[in-house]
Amino acid sequence: MNTALLVRRPLGCLKASLRQTRQQNRVFPNRHMATATATASKRGPIPSGVSIDDHNFYRIIDPKTKKTRTAFAVYTPPETTSHSSTTTTTKKRSLTLPKLISPPADPLPALHAQQIKRMDPTGARTALFAKTRTAARVGDILMVTHRRGGEPFAGVLLSIRRAGIDTAILLRNHLAKVGVEMWYKIYNKNVAGIEIVKRAKKRARRARLTYMRKPKHDMGSVSEVVLAWRKMRRVVATSKAASKAKVDAKAKKAGKAAGAKKAK
Amino acid sequence: MAPRLPARCWRRLSLASSLRPTTTRISSTIPSSSARLLSHSSQKQAKTGWTTLQRQRTAETHRFNQVTSGIPAPTTGPAAALNRRLRTTPVRAGVLAIKKGMTAFMGRTGARIPCTVLQLDKVQTVANKTRSKNGYWAVQVGLGQRHADNVGAPQLGYYEAKGIAPKKELAEFKVRDESGLLPVGVQLMPDWFHVGQWVDVRANSKGKGFAGGMKRHGFSGQEASHGNSKNHRTIGSAGPSQGSGSRVLPGKKMPGRMGGQRNTVQNLPVLMVNNELGIVVVKGCVSGPKGAVVKIQDAVKKPPPPKEFIEKTRKVLDARFPHAEQYLDAARKKHLQLKEARQQGRIDEILSAGVPEAMMSAEAENLLQEA
Repeated sequence: MNTALLVRRPLGCLKASLRQTRQQNRVFPNRHMATATATASKRGPIPSGVSIDDHNFYRIIDPKTKKTRTAFAVYTPPETTSHSSTTTTTKKRSLTLPKLISPPADPLPALHAQQIKRMDPTGARTALFAKTRTAARVGDILMVTHRRGGEPFAGVLLSIRRAGIDTAILLRNHLAKVGVEMWYKIYNKNVAGIEIVKRAKKRARRARLTYMRKPKHDMGSVSEVVLAWRKMRRVVATSKAASKAKVDAKAKKAGKAAGAKKAK
Repeated sequence: MAPRLPARCWRRLSLASSLRPTTTRISSTIPSSSARLLSHSSQKQAKTGWTTLQRQRTAETHRFNQVTSGIPAPTTGPAAALNRRLRTTPVRAGVLAIKKGMTAFMGRTGARIPCTVLQLDKVQTVANKTRSKNGYWAVQVGLGQRHADNVGAPQLGYYEAKGIAPKKELAEFKVRDESGLLPVGVQLMPDWFHVGQWVDVRANSKGKGFAGGMKRHGFSGQEASHGNSKNHRTIGSAGPSQGSGSRVLPGKKMPGRMGGQRNTVQNLPVLMVNNELGIVVVKGCVSGPKGAVVKIQDAVKKPPPPKEFIEKTRKVLDARFPHAEQYLDAARKKHLQLKEARQQGRIDEILSAGVPEAMMSAEAENLLQEA
């Protein structure tokens, strides 16, 4: 340190500090201890008490001496607050730990359920592709009608991609001797209806019938099957109109024989 | 024309008038305040000498680069840097979340909107960073929880002082100014955002390992035939030869580690917020695998949420955690006591005897007495 300067100018440092205070006064005018802001704002009385006891002590033990080297208060996680609060209620003076809400571990199933309920209030679409005996299965011939008109698309059900609200089906048909496959989202509003035209004779032993793309297994066009089903349905419909009560039973029989099922 | 009196004589005249209440012409023209002023200067005369000149600007106001020196504000430095980023810094803090997976929303008109589900698991504010102390405004936010076994001693002390359980992840969200800071220890729920607003989502992308030029940079590769030999996916030349220095230019795109770095997806609309499920659903995709930790904050390139909404969220926070400030204060005081005990090696005593009663905060004590 420059001691010579101090000897020569003993009040040098005082001058510097005074200059600083002058600068401070210019920047923050009228700030004194008396006008200092209150340190804590009072939000209201604390509900249950004063000190905080919702914690355990976590010890860090010295591996050599096996003694507690140090310890820290670890505030109890929210899952255990309910237990600790029962013990601390006996002590009157304790500031309750702010409770945290922990969400469910997997929110996706709940979200899917919520969305499906919104898009399919009757549950018909869900039932059609549920894992039940009456539901559609791979190998069945299905027909999808569009909301905005147009030719309905029929084809063999090759696979069902189950993904909650995003569940989709894959249909295969031949149009003009060219193989055509279409994916349909079953909960989409553009899909007006899905009908089972013909059920598979045997349950398929695969979940995805990708082998049906091979020439050996390819079913070809399903238009004839669909035509026959349509004709039969029309007959049923007209006879229904002619005489109600009697033919109703017949129609049921015919419907059962054809294995038809209306989706919607 | 009257002869001009020297200032010295004029002062004497005024002094005389102020002393004696006579009705001379001069005394009536000079107001009493100016008389006081003059008398003041006469007092000053004894020390510094009397002058009619205006006080000159001192050397300190002329000092180089002072705020008062009249020089325009500097364009570099911390203050200028903050000012530059003012417009692109969000007004309020964001949240940490976990990517839970992708799904779709089906619209009433048949539209299908792919979306990502992000879950807020016990998201809490942990600390505030201030301009005066840290050089910028930010809110530190924590996610989930971590067992004390997996937390180091310094961090245990840090959480002890905050009065909250150790968090799994910590992240900072820069905010524009002081008004963006939040009370410590409060939980941020999905209703921190509103449906229809835009957010930026940032996360680490999936790591792809050591990838070639075709995959990493989209190079077109080489021919399958025409004499090509064992060089179908290689990058080819790395640059010109002798005429250009026979070197590889810095920054040349080459094979190397791909992915596993932070990526931001900007301007994603919020489709849904649900407090029960703790989810924020955003349109489109977000980097990273399922289970990745993501940061969600108001979009930088869109206008911030309306003022009324921001105020509403702050009010909700205050209603849910009315005593956050007092709680933090109590925790801090307790921490200081425990810290002192640790430094003095008395922590074992406290563990066996229990925490002494003196540890309660005086302020809280007052409140209790009032109640």
